Amino acid sequence: MIDRKFFQNIDWPLVLLVFFLIVIGVVNLYSATYQVEEEKGGTIYLKQIYWAAFGFFLILIILFFDYHLLLPIAYPLYWVSISLLLGVLFFGRSISGSQRWLALGSFSFQPSELVKIALILALAKYFFINEFNRRYSFRDLYIPAGMVLLPALLIMKQPDLGTALLLLFLGLSIFLFIGIEWKTLVVSLGGSALLLPLSWFLLKDYQKKRLLIFIQPESDPLGAGYHIIQSKIAVGSGAFWGKGFLKGTQGQLRFLPEQHTDFAFSVLSEEWGFVGSLVVVTLFLLLILSALNIARQSKDRFGLILALGIGALFFWQSLVNLGMVVGLVPVVGVPLPFISYGGSSIIACLIGIGLLLNIHMRRFIIQS
Amino acid sequence: MSKFKLYRQEEPADPQRQFVVATVIILLIFFSLAGRFWYLQIAKAAHFKQLSEHNRIRSLTIPPARGVIFDRQGTILVNSRPSFNLYVIPDDVQNWDDLKTQLGKLLNLEPDQVEDRLATKKAWPFYPIPIKSNLSQDELGLIESFKYLMPGVYVEVSPQRNYPIGPVAPHVIGYLGEITLKQIKSGQFSENKMGDFIGQWGLEKQWQTDLGGKKGGRFIEVNVVGREIQELGFRDSIPGNNLVTTLDWDLQKVAQEALSKKPGAVVVLKPTTGEILAMYSSPAFDPSSFTRKLSPREWNALFSDPLKPFQNRAIQGQYPPGSTYKMVTALGGLEEKVITPETKFYCNGAFPFGNRVFHCWRKGGHGMVDLHKAIVQSCDVYFYNVGNRLGVDRLARYAQLFGLGRPTEIALYPEKGGLIPTSAWKLQRYKTAWHPGETLSLAIGQGYNLTTPLQMAVLTATIANGGTIYKPFLVKKLVSPQGTVIKDVQPEVVGRLSVNPEHLRLIQQAMAGVVNEEGGTGGAARLPGIIAAGKTGTAQVVSLGQRGGRDHAWFVAFAPLESPQLATTILMEHGGHGGDAAAPVARKIFEAYFHLPPRGSAPISKQAGPDSTDEE
Repeated sequence: MIDRKFFQNIDWPLVLLVFFLIVIGVVNLYSATYQVEEEKGGTIYLKQIYWAAFGFFLILIILFFDYHLLLPIAYPLYWVSISLLLGVLFFGRSISGSQRWLALGSFSFQPSELVKIALILALAKYFFINEFNRRYSFRDLYIPAGMVLLPALLIMKQPDLGTALLLLFLGLSIFLFIGIEWKTLVVSLGGSALLLPLSWFLLKDYQKKRLLIFIQPESDPLGAGYHIIQSKIAVGSGAFWGKGFLKGTQGQLRFLPEQHTDFAFSVLSEEWGFVGSLVVVTLFLLLILSALNIARQSKDRFGLILALGIGALFFWQSLVNLGMVVGLVPVVGVPLPFISYGGSSIIACLIGIGLLLNIHMRRFIIQS
Repeated sequence: MSKFKLYRQEEPADPQRQFVVATVIILLIFFSLAGRFWYLQIAKAAHFKQLSEHNRIRSLTIPPARGVIFDRQGTILVNSRPSFNLYVIPDDVQNWDDLKTQLGKLLNLEPDQVEDRLATKKAWPFYPIPIKSNLSQDELGLIESFKYLMPGVYVEVSPQRNYPIGPVAPHVIGYLGEITLKQIKSGQFSENKMGDFIGQWGLEKQWQTDLGGKKGGRFIEVNVVGREIQELGFRDSIPGNNLVTTLDWDLQKVAQEALSKKPGAVVVLKPTTGEILAMYSSPAFDPSSFTRKLSPREWNALFSDPLKPFQNRAIQGQYPPGSTYKMVTALGGLEEKVITPETKFYCNGAFPFGNRVFHCWRKGGHGMVDLHKAIVQSCDVYFYNVGNRLGVDRLARYAQLFGLGRPTEIALYPEKGGLIPTSAWKLQRYKTAWHPGETLSLAIGQGYNLTTPLQMAVLTATIANGGTIYKPFLVKKLVSPQGTVIKDVQPEVVGRLSVNPEHLRLIQQAMAGVVNEEGGTGGAARLPGIIAAGKTGTAQVVSLGQRGGRDHAWFVAFAPLESPQLATTILMEHGGHGGDAAAPVARKIFEAYFHLPPRGSAPISKQAGPDSTDEE
């Protein structure tokens, strides 16, 4: 199986892109945790390297199998991930107030990260076997909308508003792409606009607070308002060239909250400036466009929607995180792919990359 | 395709067109994102650079006023007063050596004290480090006048616990202490940060969330030397709610004075509700010593005191109940029909059993004894007989009916449950069978039996009110600072004795005899005009400790006999005999509650001899 053709068919530019992002991420993590107590912070960037290495190993495994083998197990995988989410609700470990982690021996992981991939697979399969020669109507979307809402609600309960919204956006992107009736679109958008005020009551106090604070950051000098303002100061003071590696005062002096996870990019932006930020933003843009490209070239609808979903995931996740860092989006706690610290996140992202590469490799109908 | 059909069934989306649309949208969004970076990092760079350079933004906490704790009449037991605290923001400091000598001079601080506090400066350069709390007026004046010489020094006002009438109920009210790392990690105190003081004991701990209030904050921009230039944001703090306790300050004070630092405990409760009117444990500690930070040395001194001033003996102290347990034995005997009120046993001062002889506390014996006389004069031989007829397990059942052997579940931490032994317990614990002789000791409240003063108070209240067990409680109301009642605590019945009411009646009468009849052991608690009822107890101390091993003195009592308003338990560690040491305390409590004139300290009935002791 491993012949020259195997390697020729790999989308090397994409691999290189991801590799760059990971290297940048690790270098940045080194800086973001540089000042943190030795015993804890010293190993965070190393851990990220181990996770990335493990992720690349997973990619290799994924590449050996035709992604169509995923068709029969797409739904079972979806249900497995749903039960993991239920497991989190009942037996999960909570870190700083929300219950997002499942303990697995000595380390713990976040099922909500894996759900993202499982949901994309399930939706891809659904629209693959339910292809009509017309636009999708309201009724056609009952099941896929349910597929999106179920994990979104479970994740909302953790509570993790960011990831829940991410799943909704992800589903919406796929629905919009495959084409839905205008009437359906108007009705459902209008409906959500009406329901939005209602959903306010479903939010936890701290989530409401964050949304309110986003509108008026000065109203909460100690909590989330602080996050937004400090992050903006970090980014803004980085100016054109940045303050230099390990020299960012906001990050190094620990003014930034969550600086190795959700706000990792603030550290990068402060130390590498406009130039550095633009490089990373461009890398993300290229990553998303190449996912779209792979979707466009895929040989069937399953591959198309799968690649599209992964592209949409990277798109929304980077958009929400970057938007948060620059104060354009409320603080909802979504990691930036490859840059933020987090084993589950990087594994999920690399599995996504593996699937993209797989779809790309098998884009010609010639294969058996 | 007709127009109509086009409307009904739209053409499927053309993927190629969708890709173009998606690409355009993505490019537009990323372009605006890049625009935002341009805006922050180029257009506004100067502004943000200035903000970050000396990190000019300071976030200061406005501590909330902690709730007030009242007694049942509205007397303030604990409130808060402003305390001025000095702290340093390391990044604003320009010359460390100068600062240290200056502060040392102004505040009389040892240099190493300043040094200790500043050890964290490297990790948190913008975090205020507390140096000294509770500045005196003089210190405050000095600091304010020399502050301009010491950039980085700030004075902050925070509320501090104040005990206007002194420490009358320290074990109940508890104290505040600095939040521990473990508590922060537990996630239960999301409002709090390192250095905050939270309730660590007693009601202060139990009601932390309600008393604590919510922090406010100020977000200010400062200049290079740390002086405030402008306020960027403000959120006021929300004061905590107030607690109205069931305590009666007058009774609490009587208990405090009566024990006068001798180890022991007093519990007073309302038999008809379970409200605790007084709970005092002695020796006590001074909660105001916790308003400042204690050094490890001071902590050690406090906690290594052999008299354990931090132990709340009323709920944590476990003692054999001695003869106060005889009501349980009597009730068990009557209910199980092993005796009737008329059953008589002859007491000649000794009770041979197996190859041993169990003695009565009165060497010469009590002669013919029925139930009433047995309780009034606390005859041990009578109860040896009853216990022997009952057996250990039936006896234990009646103790458990009263709630002995398990915590009363009063909302106060940490309560002990005591111990009521059964044959099964002994088999499990010591892997040996129950010895019938041990039952005899149990019947007079010695042996393995352990009870807390609170449990005995609940038992007394249950006998007094005719068999209803109320859960003891300490907080009547939770009231907002504006005066709205947030929570109104109602008495809670946790059990009812399913026994013949006539039997309880007999026991009440006998307890009245203990106090009021000739030859009763509790004459020292006799009141003018009101019939009090009680029972003395003397618990043998088996292990002779360094305090000479005098017996523990017990007295349980209630009054008036008909329609009881008060039930009380007094325990005095190594106090000697219950009738001499503990009963007068009960009298003082009754006198204070019923507004009776105090009687001279001499016990009224000289016949009240020493109380029971176990086999020798």
